[in-house]
Amino acid sequence: MSAVAVSVFVFLFLIVTVLGFAAARWRKADLNSLDEWGLGGRGFGTFIAWFLIGGDLYTAYTFIAVPATLYAGSSVGFFAVPYTIVVYPLIFLFLPRLWSVSHRHGYVTPADFVQGRYGSKTLALAVALTGILATAPYIALQLVGIQSVLEVAGFGGSGGWFVKDLPLFIAFAVLAAYTYSSGLRAPALIAFVKDVLIYVVIIVAVIYLPSQLGGWGHIFSATNDSFTQFNSDNADAIAAGQASPKGMIPPPTLHWAYASLALGSALALFMYPHSVTGVLSTRNRGVIRRNAALLPAYSFLLGLLALLGFVAVAAGVKVAGNPPNPQLAVPQLFENEFPPWFAGVGYAAIAIGALVPAAIMSIAAANLFTRNIYRAYFRPDATPSEEAQVSKIASLLVKVGALVFVLALSRSFAINLQLLGGVWILQTFPAIVVGLYTRWFHRWAVLAGWAAGMLYGTWTAYGVASPTQAHFGGPLASFPGTDTKVYIAAVAFGINVLVTIVLTLVLRAMKVDPGEDQTHWDDYSADVDDENVAAEIDPRARVHA
Amino acid sequence: MSHDSPAPTRRPSTGLWALIIVILLPAVVLPLWVPLYDKTDPTLFGFPFFFWFQFALILVSAALTATAYGLSQLGGRRGEGSVR
Repeated sequence: MSAVAVSVFVFLFLIVTVLGFAAARWRKADLNSLDEWGLGGRGFGTFIAWFLIGGDLYTAYTFIAVPATLYAGSSVGFFAVPYTIVVYPLIFLFLPRLWSVSHRHGYVTPADFVQGRYGSKTLALAVALTGILATAPYIALQLVGIQSVLEVAGFGGSGGWFVKDLPLFIAFAVLAAYTYSSGLRAPALIAFVKDVLIYVVIIVAVIYLPSQLGGWGHIFSATNDSFTQFNSDNADAIAAGQASPKGMIPPPTLHWAYASLALGSALALFMYPHSVTGVLSTRNRGVIRRNAALLPAYSFLLGLLALLGFVAVAAGVKVAGNPPNPQLAVPQLFENEFPPWFAGVGYAAIAIGALVPAAIMSIAAANLFTRNIYRAYFRPDATPSEEAQVSKIASLLVKVGALVFVLALSRSFAINLQLLGGVWILQTFPAIVVGLYTRWFHRWAVLAGWAAGMLYGTWTAYGVASPTQAHFGGPLASFPGTDTKVYIAAVAFGINVLVTIVLTLVLRAMKVDPGEDQTHWDDYSADVDDENVAAEIDPRARVHA
Repeated sequence: MSHDSPAPTRRPSTGLWALIIVILLPAVVLPLWVPLYDKTDPTLFGFPFFFWFQFALILVSAALTATAYGLSQLGGRRGEGSVR
């Protein structure tokens, strides 16, 4: 990488660092409570929320991994687009209810809601642990995203592991420091820079690159030719199951796979603690609904970005690694095709793009730990400032864990776990979303359904082999009793719901104590200006009043 | 539903919400109906149908969600979607 690209990259990174620390002074407030540190004062309007939630849901890893799957010839890779279409109507319908009940009762995490709704610390703990387990590898993958960029950019010499990963350490230390000091305000402010950079890079890429490569029509046909060539060259290996056939459009056998990946991922997305954190930081219900109509702009961007995978194929991009690592395709495309200074902007966009979600995810995981483990089990009388302090430290530990993960364990292990994370997090859907509408489900039935879904999903994912991996070979498995491939999370979810319904009938018939529900039906449509709903909740008020 | 509702204005206007759900339904169903768009032709600006149709769906679903938002505002403080 040229000196120009390095300078541009470092300059943009420095701007973001200054912003991250300055964020502590933005919308100035006492940061010694979770409402302020962990939810940015619950006061973000439409504009800020658009950047924050957009920056939160469309992570650097997404920007690396989605085009990588298309580059590698996975015909279901484009499911990311229907997935992000389906998710917004669901957000429009479900999340305002979660916002309302959380606002009225001062809930900070999804597990807080579960605890209040079902009166069960155990069920809340299950939801909290699932959230932390699913989020941790996701943070690790943000660091993998940064690593991919640094690797292609040729940062960090060829010395020992310390020198090689020094830039990652620096990026990580900076991230940890400003998240600690500024809380959710830091990613909210940085998200502006990140998204402007990403939009500029993608728009330039989808206009400039095709003009260099003979237009979109040529890119699609060149990709098609390349995949057809691969399939005929490797016909024997494909027939023997040692290689996967490549394609651009899913064949009829993969229709269910494509649709179930889209739906399962959409349902899982807003169960992730970091999405809930983003949503709860908004000022009122209208902000969430307005954003459900505005956020699809990011889906458009994601779709264009995904197609860069084909652009890389058409441009003849070769990636390093053995076996070749398709995740390097987009950074390598930038390196090959852009002038150095703009390649620097592109690298910065991806690296900064990793910092925003990594910060929000670590805050969300830390809040879960503080509220649903530390306070629930160890310090029921923790003061707001103690909670904030514990969360700050927990957010550091979560990030250190993610760093160790990436450096000490293999990258594919992090990817496997993130795959499992999607399967796991979807199992909290009955407790949270169904709980927003009805208390009919019995708390122990929800817990049993969750356990069944977790076990089935983990076991099935473990058993999936691919040409390169014996276990965790992919997100698809045969639907029980058929040959049709579907998303594992969707089947696990079906089992979860089935177990929950059957056991609810049994437990209700046996008149087992269903637990106390501290919420009222009216709480689910409460908005600011209503009685008992402050524009900004007083963090010192007793929460479970 | 509970009997001790504090004010009649809080009762959800069911008809409006049924309409909103009907409006949002295509945004969920169409993207999942893969056989509908699983083809190369007709192409648009060099994009196979499979790809440009899904881009078009993004615009359609954004428009539908915006309409739903407008309707939820109409319901004003009376509906489930009281947004103020």
